[in-house]
Amino acid sequence: MRKEDLLDKLRANTREQYDMPDMHIDGIKYPDTVQQFMDMTKSVGGNVMMVKKTDDLNMIIRNLYSEAKVFASNLPFINIAQRNPDTVAEAQDLNGTDVGIIQGSVGVAENGCIWVPQTMKEKAICFISEYLVILLDKGDIVDNMHEAYSRIEMTDYGFGTFISGPSKTADIEQALVMGAQAARGVTVLILE
Amino acid sequence: MSTLHSKAAHEFLKDVDKTTWHDATFWSVRTKRDIMAQGLPEWESLREHASDIKKHTITHLADYLEMFSDHLERNGVIVHWAKDAQEFNEIVFGILETHKVEKMVKSKSMLTEECGMNAYLMERGIDVVETDLGERIIQLLGQKPSHIVMPAIHLKREEVGRMFEEKGISKEIGNYDPTYLTRCARQHLRNQFMEAGAGLTGANFGVAKTGDVVVCTNEGNADMSTSMPKLHIVAMGIEKLVPDYESLAVFQRLLCRCGTGQPTTTYTSHFRKARPGAEMHVVLVDNGRSDILGNPDHWQTLKCMRCGACMNTCPVYRRSGGYSYTYFIPGPIGVNLGMLRNPVQYSDNVSACSLCLSCDNVCPSKVDPGSQIYVWRQQLDSLGKADPMKKFMSKGMTTLFDNPTLYNTALKFAPLANDVPECMTHFSRLNPWSIGHDKPHFAGESFHEMWKKGEVK
Repeated sequence: MRKEDLLDKLRANTREQYDMPDMHIDGIKYPDTVQQFMDMTKSVGGNVMMVKKTDDLNMIIRNLYSEAKVFASNLPFINIAQRNPDTVAEAQDLNGTDVGIIQGSVGVAENGCIWVPQTMKEKAICFISEYLVILLDKGDIVDNMHEAYSRIEMTDYGFGTFISGPSKTADIEQALVMGAQAARGVTVLILE
Repeated sequence: MSTLHSKAAHEFLKDVDKTTWHDATFWSVRTKRDIMAQGLPEWESLREHASDIKKHTITHLADYLEMFSDHLERNGVIVHWAKDAQEFNEIVFGILETHKVEKMVKSKSMLTEECGMNAYLMERGIDVVETDLGERIIQLLGQKPSHIVMPAIHLKREEVGRMFEEKGISKEIGNYDPTYLTRCARQHLRNQFMEAGAGLTGANFGVAKTGDVVVCTNEGNADMSTSMPKLHIVAMGIEKLVPDYESLAVFQRLLCRCGTGQPTTTYTSHFRKARPGAEMHVVLVDNGRSDILGNPDHWQTLKCMRCGACMNTCPVYRRSGGYSYTYFIPGPIGVNLGMLRNPVQYSDNVSACSLCLSCDNVCPSKVDPGSQIYVWRQQLDSLGKADPMKKFMSKGMTTLFDNPTLYNTALKFAPLANDVPECMTHFSRLNPWSIGHDKPHFAGESFHEMWKKGEVK
């Protein structure tokens, strides 16, 4: 079908036109935004830890996942990673990653979402890793999605995702199971 | 007298335990939704905004579609326009054929269900693999979804487990633990993601001012489907647009809270471009939506974002199950969408409503599916689909109530009916109203008479 034919038909079939509403919405605010974010992250099945910017992140992550063998990251200060999503030939080469380490740019207190813009060639690292570590600056946590959507930015890769906890499903008898197709567990490290 | 829905519901209700479980399960989802709603002081403001934003977008749809497709094309995405299901299927097959794709993984898309895409592609040799766990289960069983958000909700763990054993997906015979079965499916699907030549997703939203396609999942299967293959196809109904991020925030906040009672889906993914070295196609599908826009009574059905809240709350859906409806989308919104698709073919479903209007009260974008079902019922006679027995009764009642002498006489003699034994009135075949109902008892003296005698204080 030609695009013009559809657009003409839509214009002909539109009866009365309505204006956009006034978009002022009093989105929920929390007395302690960071605490709410941490509580919400746990309630969606994630782990969360507050760490100092000066702490040894490599050591912390290694200790958190002491049995993990394969780490992947393209963050310059992560030196425990054997795989780099920027340099693998194919996305499939990231399969079998035990822990992927990525950077989030906005955290949302109302639902535990973290905006992860694509900053690597293969975004597969965000989903294919068995466990995911997301780094987030304490100052980047906001109360609600209205604030989050006014802040997020897309990179040139043209992909970004809000992640809230591990992959989950309740498709068999409504029994909640963590680790459906993507990460089985998520740890959020809040840097202060 | 019985509609296809009521006949099918009768069969569903024979398994008392399963029916009770089904009812209780959906009520618990509804309860979770209530907790979410009550946790946000701005809840009703969000619903009002959702409705108003959709009304605006739908009545400026041509402009927003132009804006959306311009942005996509500027970002190197290839945009296709499909008039109907046939065109949609042909376009998708054409893309796959060009890329010599043999296996395609896909995340949940009700639009592909609406268009019968899987069957079309599989007849032409494409191995189409559903990757949402519930969808994969019913695909392997050769079934259709019984709910739009929880497609395999009608199945018990034993049924899933036995099928997994037969297909070689699970190895431990007799282990029907949901966690174990989910792990087995994870491994099975992981292999599919690695091999597939293309990934197809639906779209929960399209953002006109940026050209983002937004897909929400809990499993991450839409992301797995698009992170490995070099080809991403998006199947999207034209009514999925919202103007901008500011509007999108409203819908993101409502969708999952209403659908499953969670504060958000695990993943809310924005696709604006193909990933490096890959190709992205968006197929925008009309398939009757432009006609709905022109329908003076029902155009606001286009505001629906398919969260499923109306099904979860519906007393008829909860007690009759998704398969009792003759349209592929069940529940209150499905009754409406079926009538918009083909009112003669799908009129059996309009009786599947008690007009309690609970769905109107939970719908996040104020589609008012229950009120609309009432409107459809008024149109049944003109479609030649009114129940002849009810029509006969209505005519009789019109005569009775239009004629005061006849009415008063009937009322005077009504108590005589009290002496007629039930065995003479309760032949269920001739008098379906007698099923589950006792014969009414008429008072010796009517209210009217009592009023005249001054007996009413």
